[in-house]
Amino acid sequence: MSTVTHDPITLEIIQNSLQATADEMFAAMRKTAMSSIIYEVLDMGTGITDGKGQLASSGAGIPGFIGVLDKSVKVLLEKFAKPGGIEPGDVFITNDPYYGGVTHLNDLVVAMPVFVDGKIIAWTANIAHNSDVGGKSPGSLSADATEIFQEGLRLPAIKMISKGEAIPGIFDIITVNSRMPDFLEGDLWAAIASVRIGAKRLVELAEKYTVVTFQAAMDSFMDHGEKIALAELAKLPHGTFELTEEQDDGRFFNVKVTISANEFVIDLRDNPDQDAGPSNACYDDTLVSMQVIFKALTDPTSPANEGSFRPLKVLTREGSCFHAKEPAAVGFYYEIGIRGYDLVWRCLAPHMPEKLPAGHFSSIAGTFIGGIHPDTGRQYTIIEPQIGGWGASAGRDGNSAIFSGVHGETYNCPAEISEARNGLVVDRMELNVEPGGEGKWTGGHGIRLDYRIRKDNSFLTLGYTRSRILPWSLDGGNEGSANYALVMRKDGSSERYAFASGIRVDTDDVIRVITGAGGGIGNPRERDPKLVAEDIRNGFITPERAREVYGFSA
Amino acid sequence: MSAKTIRVATDVGGTFTDLVCFETDHATGQSRITTAKSDTTPPNFEQGVLNVLEKGGVDPKTVDFLAHGTTVVINALTERKGVKVGLITTEGFRDTLEIARGNRPDFFNLHYEKPAPFVPRYLRREVPGRFNYHGEEMKPLDLSGLPEILDAFRADGVEAIAVCFLHSYANPSHEQATIAGIKRLWPEIATVASHQITREWREYERTNTAVMSAYVQPTAERYLTRLNEGLAAKGFDGNLFIMQSNCGVDSLDSVKKIPITMVESGPASGFWGAAELGKFIGEKNILALDIGGTTAKCSLIEDGKVKIMTDYWIERDRTSAGYPIMVPVVDLVEIGNGGGSIAWVDEFGKLHVGPKSAGAMPGPAAYGRGGTSATTTDANLWLSRINRDYFCGGSVTADMSATEKALNAVGEKLGVSADEVARGIVRIANNNMVNALKLVSLNRGFDPRDFTLVAFGGGGAMHAVALGVELGVKKVVIPAGASVFSAWGMMMSDLRRDYFVTKLAELTPGSAAAIEAQFSETEAQALQQFSEEGADKTKVTFLRYGKFRYQNQEHTTEVLIEGEITDASLARIETSFHETYEREYTYRLDAPVELVGIHLVASAEVGKLKMQERPLGAPSAAAARKAARLVDYALEGIHEAEIYDGEKLQPGMIFPGPAVIEDPGTTIVVHPGNRVEVDGFGNLHIHLKA
Repeated sequence: MSTVTHDPITLEIIQNSLQATADEMFAAMRKTAMSSIIYEVLDMGTGITDGKGQLASSGAGIPGFIGVLDKSVKVLLEKFAKPGGIEPGDVFITNDPYYGGVTHLNDLVVAMPVFVDGKIIAWTANIAHNSDVGGKSPGSLSADATEIFQEGLRLPAIKMISKGEAIPGIFDIITVNSRMPDFLEGDLWAAIASVRIGAKRLVELAEKYTVVTFQAAMDSFMDHGEKIALAELAKLPHGTFELTEEQDDGRFFNVKVTISANEFVIDLRDNPDQDAGPSNACYDDTLVSMQVIFKALTDPTSPANEGSFRPLKVLTREGSCFHAKEPAAVGFYYEIGIRGYDLVWRCLAPHMPEKLPAGHFSSIAGTFIGGIHPDTGRQYTIIEPQIGGWGASAGRDGNSAIFSGVHGETYNCPAEISEARNGLVVDRMELNVEPGGEGKWTGGHGIRLDYRIRKDNSFLTLGYTRSRILPWSLDGGNEGSANYALVMRKDGSSERYAFASGIRVDTDDVIRVITGAGGGIGNPRERDPKLVAEDIRNGFITPERAREVYGFSA
Repeated sequence: MSAKTIRVATDVGGTFTDLVCFETDHATGQSRITTAKSDTTPPNFEQGVLNVLEKGGVDPKTVDFLAHGTTVVINALTERKGVKVGLITTEGFRDTLEIARGNRPDFFNLHYEKPAPFVPRYLRREVPGRFNYHGEEMKPLDLSGLPEILDAFRADGVEAIAVCFLHSYANPSHEQATIAGIKRLWPEIATVASHQITREWREYERTNTAVMSAYVQPTAERYLTRLNEGLAAKGFDGNLFIMQSNCGVDSLDSVKKIPITMVESGPASGFWGAAELGKFIGEKNILALDIGGTTAKCSLIEDGKVKIMTDYWIERDRTSAGYPIMVPVVDLVEIGNGGGSIAWVDEFGKLHVGPKSAGAMPGPAAYGRGGTSATTTDANLWLSRINRDYFCGGSVTADMSATEKALNAVGEKLGVSADEVARGIVRIANNNMVNALKLVSLNRGFDPRDFTLVAFGGGGAMHAVALGVELGVKKVVIPAGASVFSAWGMMMSDLRRDYFVTKLAELTPGSAAAIEAQFSETEAQALQQFSEEGADKTKVTFLRYGKFRYQNQEHTTEVLIEGEITDASLARIETSFHETYEREYTYRLDAPVELVGIHLVASAEVGKLKMQERPLGAPSAAAARKAARLVDYALEGIHEAEIYDGEKLQPGMIFPGPAVIEDPGTTIVVHPGNRVEVDGFGNLHIHLKA
């Protein structure tokens, strides 16, 4: 029943099917992955691009991965441009941000061209955080890395499967470089299965509706994305907005945002040189972080594709922490990414209060705990982002205990599963009621999570920001509270950390993860006393502090 | 023994309470079917049931078997009409209910609102005591604080208490002791502990499930008690069974304790009906589709078996995390696309259908009750797929000018005619439903070409052929009485319970005994429960499923296990896991396989309806033909279709498409090139190619 007319209903049906395919790829990968960071945390994304590598549709668990895959495919197209370079059945892999990998070496991008009648009509691709890709530290992330070489095996956009057959040796190289080869191999096959399933669906779709109509549907979908973005841009206040903000480490970050009817320009050029350590992002990743906040401002509910981001321009300075040069280490790229994202958010919030709540705990708060499972004797590694408090919205208190703005459909790990899988004890997992975030509308609460270690010679690595410079408030509300971790030793001593790697922990040491409250909005004295009374009743604030902050007396 | 058996199914819906009665004559085996409808009567829903029995002329004294389905539980949840619940948890975990899983499905939206917990923090209390994941006690239970907790709950007006402790799936003794402690101190309070509902891990899901069950328990219990008393007062002394979300029925007493298991009982009966129907017509692989007024639901039946899972959530969609309920529910996908779904154009000129529905009031524009929105039903009318002179079985005069106006309003925004709008609505609605059907089939590794599409509900037959063609199914079957098919399914249900137990074991020699022991123990528990309720032990049958995964994975694949589990049979089980896994995910691994839990299905027949097949004659379909008219088939153009009276169709009749079959409850659209056969049960088999 094929037709060459591009009637709008047919295009719409193809677009729905693209979304369904991206979702199917996501579900397939999630269910077969071996690492909890993939199947539970959903630190992964799937996507479909057109033949030129432009993002057509995505089924992502986290917004921070939505704009990654198109950039990888574009690098592959360029690198393998010569005839015979890309053939039906091929599958490619990259993880190196200097070769289309965008993020850091742990994230493996797997991509597959989709052929119909000998021509590439699309690509299916996915990205996922793998537990260990080698490098100097377990889990591959190291707070004291100074070069990317120390962060694991580099896969600089290479072919892994040729015409359906695995290229001898490639899998061996990849797995032998990992401390957790079984996990890596299982996760890699999950990724391959996912791109293959997606490719099969797209071939069916293009054969059914013809390639011409299929491509027209992709094009019109992207044009539609652009139309939505422009329409929303017209509603935003136009002008130039600037903010400079101090960071936990004493550096200052700056942003200038210029909004006009057809452009949204983010200028990050006036920022510090790239870091000697791993707190750097490559340009592609900075662009992705900016796409996330841009999309939040320009119709967050419609699907994101290449067109959605056409009005966005991001300016950076090569050699700065937002545009690192090879061979800078990039392991903790995501804390730079979220700092840039939050910087734009904070810069614009006073000018568009209906669109932007007050600041949230605003850190991935990546926490890595590993060692030998005391019951099974096998190596385990916890790799998890944390949940925390969000800022108040105008007219509503902020959410408690949800993932940061660059994570999304991400799930925390149940204590019952964590104890079985990781061989430690979760002593508590509760809301953090430390002071902070009070206001007419309050910020939500972060968490307090205690891991008690059951085996000597285990390790903790972490990278939290917003540990000294707190989540920001609006209109006279109070700032939120800090993200940090305590290592509470068996002997009663205790150490506080925010950014460190390879801290040794032993039996009955407790790692206490604390995430902050979001910022408040409005003068606390204007908070409805009924709400304050509820806060006291629920144990979120003591009566003494309620009197002090809210002027409340029962 | 009387000369006939009377079976009744009643179904309390949001708007109407339905009745279907099968009166089976033992001598002839023939059943006389009566249906009736009356208003649902909140908050005294049992009154509606008694009313509909009276309206249908059914004397409760004569009824042998009464199956009852109700939306009381799901309504209490979604309308927040349950009771005030107090929650008792393990020390350090009172906030689990509020923390939930931390996910933000609507991830670009910075104003996302996390679903609020059903129990506020001040009613969530902790007690010391702890197990590890093996179920071994690390810290003894300390109930010394319980009296103070209960006093506080009393003072705050708590009406039900939920208890959920860490690792209670592995060892429920602390929960049991706590419930006993509560009963001692406060005998009349409603209680539920998480292990009574589920023995699976994940503390947030289990806690929320216990809370939601407690939340609806007093309401549901009162309702079921009053229903039972009301029926008894009218002389009913037959068997009353309550429809469950796992496609089975359960006894009244059992459901009163854990009413949350009724949460999806409505759709479950229809899907069960489809599986049972498959047995009569020799189709074991079925895609079942139920299209109602506001939603369409679908489910896949493989080898005659419905799939039951415990991964069920309410109010969960792309914009909200929703709430998990860890009870056995038939695996279904539901989308906001039904006959009443409203067509609308967004600000960028794109046409959408649903999920908003015109409901029963004002309903589609054609109802003439003031509705101005074009719905799927309006589009079907406009294209003459539905007979405008026989709308709703002739009970409503179609207001075609209202329909035209509504379609034109959409057309103006798109710059096209009413005809084009109507075709667009039908195509988009079909596409939405096809994608839902793919989710339960293709996305799980099943090829629709191996399946028969069974469509029911008021709107199923209207769209089924188009969907069947798109999916490439073997054929489409429209059951006799498609519009009351769910009630029929209820009468075909067995007494059934699904037991899910988390149990970790590696598939290595020597582990078989422990796995076998877990199954045997659970089977013994099931038998005891059945016999306590008076069921005949010898009639109970079991199906054993193992939930397996490759070591280190999380999600499991369920595999049916035949026979006793011995070290010798482990290899066979493993092979069967590899095969199932590869079908679903395209590859297999050379990695160790482990068991994560068991799923035991226990069922016993409780006098289900036997269907009588009538002989196929060779009657001419011309006897049922009533007219011909031009029908717009959207993609396939306009054709003159033969119109048949569904009530006059006889077994053995065969006729080709294009055709439309009209009966009072539904309209069946048969496309050009199709061939229809009526079987001995009155079901229509539509072969897509003649």
